[in-house]
Amino acid sequence: MKLKKQFADFYKEIRIDDETHALRDKREVLQADIKAKLPGILEDHDITINKSDIRLIDQGSYKYHTTIKADVVDRDVAVMIPLSTSDNTDTRKIKGYLRDAIDIPARTVVIKEPCVRASYYEDGKEWLHIDLPLYAEDGDSVFLARGKEHSSDYSWESADPEGLNDYLCEKINGNNQLRRIICFIKKWRNEKYSGSTSDHEIPPSIGLTLLACDCFSEQSSSEGDDDLLSLQKTMKGILDKFSYTFDGNGDLIRTISRSLPVTPYTDVFKKMKDSSSSYMTTFYNRLSKAVDNLTDAVNVESEHDAGEYVQKVLGESFIVPPKEAVAAQAQNKREHSFG
Amino acid sequence: MTAKEILESYDEITIGEQLCEDTLFFTLFEKQFLFIAPSRDDLSSGAEIYLYNDSFLDYPHILLRETNITEGKVLPKGTYRWVCLFEQDSIVNSILSYDEKIYDCIDRLIELLNMSSVEKEREFQKEFLYYWNSESIGDNSFQIYLDQDDQVAEMDVYFSKSIVRLTDSRIALSDIEETVKGERRWMHHIEKDAFFIPIKDCRGVLPPHRGYKWTAKDLHEIIYGKQIEHISDESFEKIKTLIPKTQDVLLVFGMRTETTNIAFALNMKCKNRVGHSLLEKILTDITAVEPMFTKRKDYSYLSEQIGNDIGAKRKKVLLVGAGSLGSYVALELVKNGFTYLKIYDDDTLTEENTLRWAYEGYGIGASKTQTLKIMLEWLHPQILIDSCNKKLDTESLTEELKDTDIIIFTIGNSDAQLKFNKVLNQQVFTKPVLYVWLEEGGLYSHILFVDYRKPGCFECLYTDTSGEKVNNRARKNTDLAAENGMIRNGCGGTRAAYGTSILLKTTAALLDTLHEIDRNKLTKNTLIDITPTRVGASDIIFPMEACNCCGNNAE
Ligand SMILES: [Zn+2]
Ligand SMILES: [Zn+2]
Repeated sequence: MKLKKQFADFYKEIRIDDETHALRDKREVLQADIKAKLPGILEDHDITINKSDIRLIDQGSYKYHTTIKADVVDRDVAVMIPLSTSDNTDTRKIKGYLRDAIDIPARTVVIKEPCVRASYYEDGKEWLHIDLPLYAEDGDSVFLARGKEHSSDYSWESADPEGLNDYLCEKINGNNQLRRIICFIKKWRNEKYSGSTSDHEIPPSIGLTLLACDCFSEQSSSEGDDDLLSLQKTMKGILDKFSYTFDGNGDLIRTISRSLPVTPYTDVFKKMKDSSSSYMTTFYNRLSKAVDNLTDAVNVESEHDAGEYVQKVLGESFIVPPKEAVAAQAQNKREHSFG
Repeated sequence: MTAKEILESYDEITIGEQLCEDTLFFTLFEKQFLFIAPSRDDLSSGAEIYLYNDSFLDYPHILLRETNITEGKVLPKGTYRWVCLFEQDSIVNSILSYDEKIYDCIDRLIELLNMSSVEKEREFQKEFLYYWNSESIGDNSFQIYLDQDDQVAEMDVYFSKSIVRLTDSRIALSDIEETVKGERRWMHHIEKDAFFIPIKDCRGVLPPHRGYKWTAKDLHEIIYGKQIEHISDESFEKIKTLIPKTQDVLLVFGMRTETTNIAFALNMKCKNRVGHSLLEKILTDITAVEPMFTKRKDYSYLSEQIGNDIGAKRKKVLLVGAGSLGSYVALELVKNGFTYLKIYDDDTLTEENTLRWAYEGYGIGASKTQTLKIMLEWLHPQILIDSCNKKLDTESLTEELKDTDIIIFTIGNSDAQLKFNKVLNQQVFTKPVLYVWLEEGGLYSHILFVDYRKPGCFECLYTDTSGEKVNNRARKNTDLAAENGMIRNGCGGTRAAYGTSILLKTTAALLDTLHEIDRNKLTKNTLIDITPTRVGASDIIFPMEACNCCGNNAE
């Protein structure tokens, strides 16, 4: 099996097992602020909820341990309150109240389309943001507050954040190879999109995670898990899910869809598609290139050469093993040092 | 090919000034290097490379030590920094050709300069302590004695001249009370509290090096990392509750990388804030961080370096007999992981013992056990020897059983062996017992392993199939059969003429046997024969069913 140790080392290098104390402290203070201040602010606007009615639900990659090292730590906590969506149709206002509850100098708070974001800076550089999607529990249904602060496009969208959590936890927890493959694919995405600034240009983590679960190919031999082969087959599987159409000029357009496995069953790539048709093409081309390199890595005999192909996909923190000729020569002429 | 021709074969390299046939400058990746080819006369020599006139602040293997040449006679003036391309003694130069040596050296240099940040980090961590100590402040050398390396621990501080010992409060060092001319050698120091903190995830933890000094930020990152949790939850909680009593604090960090297990100490200078926890001090009070020259010295660490079994450290060995064999066995036990020995022997060392005693020339006329105690404890201060300058009797043995984990008899007196065997059998002692003895003549020796819960004991060797008492059946040296039935099988009081070869062989076989016992590989009581050509299980009948002690005929 090729590159077993290199993949193991690479995973060790990029993985984040759990929240740090620094992050947990920040999150807990933020959560306490929400519980302490949100009911009062809502009360000022004639909405009555109890502190104990507010539910804060851990979401995102930390929940199913597919977090990888990144420039900015990204944490997701759902804020769920009982609320009549028909009496409070303007989601922008409700999100504004949440913002007001947590807006203190220690953090920078902005309203984003799907959430309220609290960012933390040190020496002028953002190191953490905690995204707080706001959900209303209305009768038996749950709705996500969508819309930017000053946008005319806002709504309550029916949602099932806990259902999504359960779906992903069930798929991922206990499947270590899948977990690693998701981390590798996210790392590939971060490498290839490191220059991107626009949000919707970049394939979203949730989309990549769902596709990786769909296309995951478990690979192992007597020597243990074969992550190279698994990654190659899984990414190839995702690539094969792309379909194509022609645009007005007769040019080929690649596209992929994956709907949420829970309410509202919308396509996770919708925003990417709506923003620009070229985003999908770029996604396809980059993925295709990655699959080519991984296929070469699988097929080539030399472990060193295979490592170089993988490095093209996963970036320089993937360590290429030394050339066999050099390694073998050094091995033969190596002396055991004792003293 | 000449050195120059070989270097020219690399596209990346531009040749510069050539000083002589095997010394020249070249440029690679915009840096200038001095190249000295291996000597054609000295096959063991290798090529050497120096970085020339470049500050190149943070790069592993480009050594901190630099040579300044101001009046160049042979070499142009400038700064030369040696590039470390080979692990010490990792290559047999003599079997490489001149050309191969140069290619190999340049390939390594190119690889070195092409390292990714992850690779650089690994290389820095490999030589962490070298960089750490190079950047250390002050003249004190810090010796670290850890009891374990996975939990936060409070440490004691002792001073002696320019040496500072930081020991885990749970460790007792045998020499800490030592006095020199009435003065204590080690002064317990209470000006600074000291703590050990283990780092469980060392990603991103780099030693200070050129252009990179440690500050409070480095400690914040270790203790309160933003993205990576470098210490365990347990350590974090502990650091929250510890309240240092002193303004400045000494910290020792432990860190395991793929290839190394290191500890490094630093002085954390702080603002004077009373009542702050260690965590608060680290996060808010630091005014300076000073690396200290560090050396880890504890027995577990040294033991790990030679692949010893760490579990042995906690086991107490009762060693009966400090004659020639006992002295060799004792010395090897303390080198192989056993730090706690109680040794019984009433004998004193005579001139005639000198050449086959493990410590030659020392302690003539003195008690053998006392001499062993001094010599063995000298090896390492965590070794503790309880010396009993008397013959073991059955009462003492019964008493010792309460807190003994392994018993080793290195006595050659059959009556004593049989007597102790009976006691152990009656008590059904549950820990391993080893009888080790030499035959007279010094050609053969034996090891009998007994677990008294299983069939087979020392008396089985003195019993025939009908239960009659006979001479030791294990004996191989039939030529020298004793006429009067008195068995003088070697060690202890007898002075047969044999050299140290049998002692070394027997001791080695005993170490292997202990290892097998430890790994639960010896499932039955076993007699092992050591002959001039082999070590192996004996072919005599054992255990003996008719044994009057352990077998059918037992009362
Ligand atoms: Zn080096
Ligand atoms: Zn017996």
